[in-house]
Amino acid sequence: MRRFAVLALIVCLGTFGAFGAGKFLRIAFDAADLKTLDPHLAAATMDRAVVDMVFNGLVRYKPGDISAPFEPDLATSWEVSEDGLTWTFHLRPGVYFHPFEGYPDGYELTSEDVVYSLQKAADPGRSAYAGEYTGMTFVAVDKYTVQVKLEKPLPPSLMLPKFADYAGGFIVSKKAVEALGDEGFRTHPVGTGPFMFKEYSPLEKVVLVANPRYFRGKPKLDGVIVYYMPSLSAREAALETGQVDIIEGPPEQPWVEKMRAKPGVVVDTFGPGECAVLHFNMSKPPFDKLLIREAVAYALDREELLYTVGPDIADPLCSPVPPLLPGGLTCDEVGPLRYDVDRAKAKELLAKAGYPDGFSIEVVISERAEYLIPMQNIQAQLAEIGIDVKLKVVDHSSMHTLIRQDVNPMVLYVAWRPNADVFLTRFYHSYSIVVTGKKPDTNFSHLGGVDADGDGVIETIDPLIEAARTELDSERQVALWKEACEDILTLVAAYPLYIKKFVYARNPKVDYGYELKSTLALYPQINELTDIAG
Amino acid sequence: MRPRKTRRIWKGGENTPDSSITPRQRILRTFLKNRTAVIGAVIAVCVAGVAIFSPLIAPYSPVRQNVRYRFQPPQGAHIFGTDFYGRDVFSRVIYGARISLLVGTSSVLLGMVLGTAMGMVAAYRGGRLETLIMRAVDVMMSFPDEVLGIMIMVALGSGLFNLILAIAILMAPRFARLAYGPTLALRERDYVDAARAVGCSDIRVLFRHILPNIFGEVLVMSTLWTATAIRLEANLSFLGLGVSPPTPTWGNMIRTGLDHLTDAWWVSVFPGAAILVTVLAFNMLGDGLRDIADPKLRT
Repeated sequence: MRRFAVLALIVCLGTFGAFGAGKFLRIAFDAADLKTLDPHLAAATMDRAVVDMVFNGLVRYKPGDISAPFEPDLATSWEVSEDGLTWTFHLRPGVYFHPFEGYPDGYELTSEDVVYSLQKAADPGRSAYAGEYTGMTFVAVDKYTVQVKLEKPLPPSLMLPKFADYAGGFIVSKKAVEALGDEGFRTHPVGTGPFMFKEYSPLEKVVLVANPRYFRGKPKLDGVIVYYMPSLSAREAALETGQVDIIEGPPEQPWVEKMRAKPGVVVDTFGPGECAVLHFNMSKPPFDKLLIREAVAYALDREELLYTVGPDIADPLCSPVPPLLPGGLTCDEVGPLRYDVDRAKAKELLAKAGYPDGFSIEVVISERAEYLIPMQNIQAQLAEIGIDVKLKVVDHSSMHTLIRQDVNPMVLYVAWRPNADVFLTRFYHSYSIVVTGKKPDTNFSHLGGVDADGDGVIETIDPLIEAARTELDSERQVALWKEACEDILTLVAAYPLYIKKFVYARNPKVDYGYELKSTLALYPQINELTDIAG
Repeated sequence: MRPRKTRRIWKGGENTPDSSITPRQRILRTFLKNRTAVIGAVIAVCVAGVAIFSPLIAPYSPVRQNVRYRFQPPQGAHIFGTDFYGRDVFSRVIYGARISLLVGTSSVLLGMVLGTAMGMVAAYRGGRLETLIMRAVDVMMSFPDEVLGIMIMVALGSGLFNLILAIAILMAPRFARLAYGPTLALRERDYVDAARAVGCSDIRVLFRHILPNIFGEVLVMSTLWTATAIRLEANLSFLGLGVSPPTPTWGNMIRTGLDHLTDAWWVSVFPGAAILVTVLAFNMLGDGLRDIADPKLRT
């Protein structure tokens, strides 16, 4: 096996010599090949990574810290009209697109490119993120000014992420897309970022070279080579033998410990990661009773779960919106709504609800480790108070189909959403209730559609979510989101478990050039400041 | 797997047929002389004992987790160590014997009933029914066991009963083939004709006059195929198509330990050894029984 891995590596790196001369950073991803380098379609980690190096947004998240305020990127400044319906972005002059056929020196970015790019991002046929731009029109006021007109005002916390260096916000070159076609652009991206696309070898690698005209200055590296290596042992061997500098790791505690023990290897874990939350189906027994949901909440030991998935790769999560985002609550802020483990109390509540000996439920769960491992621990923990959880293990896509058909009494869901509004809307708004909602999505708890506490009234947080969505005062907006989170926890519609971080291992000589705490790029961002010592 | 010990049985003068002992006693004696079979039987009985009395033998619950004691190497309190969830591997191996033996024996039993009936009916009735049954058997036997097993499990879904059913479906064609040949020969025998002449129904002829004559061989092969069934159960469980967690089976234990084989070898190695020993025991027992049942060795 090891021999095969090394052989695969040699084949993989066969053409490495050609780029060995300069200071190239080599990063290997857990993927067999790229899917698309069109930033408006890229969703997988290995694609988002390349896109992140090649493109810019109008504004950007601070490298390494998504909770910091937005920084200028292609736009140097922006303002919003008094009625909140017109946003004006002032573009940075002298930003050049990377060279491509017909434009050997590239050309200067103007409002025409920005409008074209945003229109492409808003077109459902050409973008995976079109829903974000519904009801917006984009106008080029002059060469360096772009206006976005809205139907309803949006607060900055919800508006700016749509124009940041993430997903639909990446600005593409109009002339390059028109010259190459959407299909051609998928394997030949042209942007304004610190690194320029040079070549793509299918099933092997993408080579990027430094953009000497990058507006923040020439990158310290001469280029980046992105390798596609689906075998973990091949990636490990490549890192240990110095063939690559950074590898994507599996988010598993034993792997982190194993790699940390090796000399010359540094393991990075960073956010935002994915939030694991247990949703209770309040539309049918037994979880239609608040007492039973409270009993389960008191029976669960978040610490133990955290230990199961790995204390180095996961942080406790106590709020439906993670504290990393505005509107989220830390475990301290949540207070008694953490439901700290108390199994005697849990049993008492069960008895009060009429189930002194517990009960039995069947839960469909994915075979994937990120679902199956925590669910097996939940199963063992609930067995302590007499709840017998029978697991029906199915393949991952079957689980996603079945949970959306409302088959589960409780649903474990692991996901990241870009902001509090999306978290709350998709998981807890009545429109999103699975099967029966107006726009069925991932509201597995049926919050907003059922009487959650037995008082004869249907509980809902819809008004809070909707008020927060259009609240222009950010403090009031955050307060509304926090109130919604507290309501969810009071009703125990869901029990947040933990937030699982990303794991990469690197050569200690690699210096990212910034402090890596969290990034939406899903990989340790490589930018003009990144360097390799020696 | 040709008979090896038999030659010795024939060499000694003490083994010359003795009219004073009954056939049953003779079979028992031959069996006891066959060391392989005896060792196989002893181990198989031990495994069965472990399966039946697992709650008494296992020091811990096989499903109780204690993640803070994850991957403890084999030592005093946990002689086989602990797994990813801090569960006692020894207790899980002990309880795992239940599923392995339950699936191994019940699927073979079910396959035996189905397959033998199919083979006998096909041979006895002949005609289109024979073609239909035996060609279906051919088609099924043309698939490797694992491939067909996976196909059936994917169609049925995972779970204990489905696992038994799937392996039984895999076993049935073997038994059908086994029963078919001898039934074909017996059908032509005078005593069968005689039975028919006095008005016995087909079912009575099959059950009272043909079945007893082929049952010995069927029983012997079922022992051998139990070993195959145990191995198949482990394979399917290993692929995640078997019993749902947290129920321990040797196959799913190996699967969960595989990711950590270099750091925590004990999680996979002990259930692997359990499969090895059990499969070996049933193979030895089956081999020995086959030697005894071999008509060439009977006088």
